[in-house]
Amino acid sequence: MRTFSKSQPLSLVLLGGSLGSMVIFEEVLKLLTSPPDCALIFILHRGKSSTALLPDLFRRKTGVVMIEPDHLEEIRSAHVYFALPDCHLLIGPDRRFYYDLSDKDFFSRPSIDAAFVSAAVSGIPVKAAFLFSGSSPDGAFGMRVLAEKGFATYVLDPAEAESPRMPEEAIKLYHGHRLINRANFTRIINDIIYSNGV
Amino acid sequence: MNLLEYPDLEVLIMQIRNASGFDFSGYARPSLLRRASRYLTKNKLTLPQLISHLEPESDIVFDLMQEMTVNYSEMFRDPDFFIGVKSEVFTYLESYPGLRFWVAGCASGEEAFSLAILLKECGYLNRSLIYATDLNNKVLTAAREGVFTLSNVRTFSENYLLAHGQNSLSDYYHVSYNKAVISREIRKNIVFSLHDLTGDGVFNEFQFISCRNVMIYFTLELRQRVFRLLYESLSMLGFLCLGKRETLRYSGIEQNFRVVDTVLNIYQKIK
Repeated sequence: MRTFSKSQPLSLVLLGGSLGSMVIFEEVLKLLTSPPDCALIFILHRGKSSTALLPDLFRRKTGVVMIEPDHLEEIRSAHVYFALPDCHLLIGPDRRFYYDLSDKDFFSRPSIDAAFVSAAVSGIPVKAAFLFSGSSPDGAFGMRVLAEKGFATYVLDPAEAESPRMPEEAIKLYHGHRLINRANFTRIINDIIYSNGV
Repeated sequence: MNLLEYPDLEVLIMQIRNASGFDFSGYARPSLLRRASRYLTKNKLTLPQLISHLEPESDIVFDLMQEMTVNYSEMFRDPDFFIGVKSEVFTYLESYPGLRFWVAGCASGEEAFSLAILLKECGYLNRSLIYATDLNNKVLTAAREGVFTLSNVRTFSENYLLAHGQNSLSDYYHVSYNKAVISREIRKNIVFSLHDLTGDGVFNEFQFISCRNVMIYFTLELRQRVFRLLYESLSMLGFLCLGKRETLRYSGIEQNFRVVDTVLNIYQKIK
């Protein structure tokens, strides 16, 4: 087993979404031309029985390591992670992933709030968090916590979201999120995932 | 929604230990933090308010423990697990005159009842004894009664069919006062008893242990201790079932097992 040095720099980029976000996730992954300077963590609401298809689908496209992490797996830079269906994915202060099978948030497991809040209090720097399209308010609280901790937070312009409720709820709960849209999408994502530092 | 931070959680763990004697210090912090925060939110409490209410024997200590130890389960949860157990494990058990099963962390008995039904349908139930244990006395009382709401049973029935059950789940319960009561025939070979995986020791030797969705709540260190206990409780060539979300990775006992199923995480003790 490879050991992981705590001194190795690690920062997180968090991406959450539900209905209508899959297409956007694909666009983000298409921008990955080389290993990113961070760990990219995707939390997507998906059906209980959906299997590990998601990473497989993308792995073929990009050549960057993409996995559904195991419970207790070390979080590594330059890796892309996807939350498993029907299981919350938490980020621990010891730089490991933790599964949690407790109650759903807003009928969702994995919950975006659960992952984002755990990242916010983990002590690991968060380069940026993104919330895209969806029909539930999940993610709004997590985004606010991240923003209040001083991390950069981006919400998809509800006017451009296939399902605007998720970004709207986030903006309602906290006014300071930056908006991401068609025009600035590529530049913002590229700048964040390939920039050094937080 | 309330937001707790890790230092708050350590204070809470200490206060719970003082008030109830129950020690959460071996439980995985990220998960505990989430559940303690949810408890505060649900009950509209702040942390200082909660701590001031924590007195020995108080309902709130009990309530909080309920919240912090996850007791949610389903009958035939992850139906393919039961298909796998039947095809990959039961054939090995054919030759044993008597069989002992342990459902470790049994909550309200869902897994134990499912296993009993599976054994019944395969013709093994009469020579099987299922020990089902949990650290929570209240859920054990519910388990002994074997009573579920009809809406829960609807989910269980769907799972049962997906698990290739041979009959209808309703053959194994009767409805009384709008509740489903698991039949005596299924309950009679199950012993429900109190056992804390984190503190209690080996109490019998088993051919089969199911400990699904339990280990993920323990810290890396405690987890290794509990894995040791499970290992020591298994007979040679006995089976350990961890379920889809938990592997033997980081357990410290990987080398003593053969992998029977990589998706369902079924292992066989080989040394």
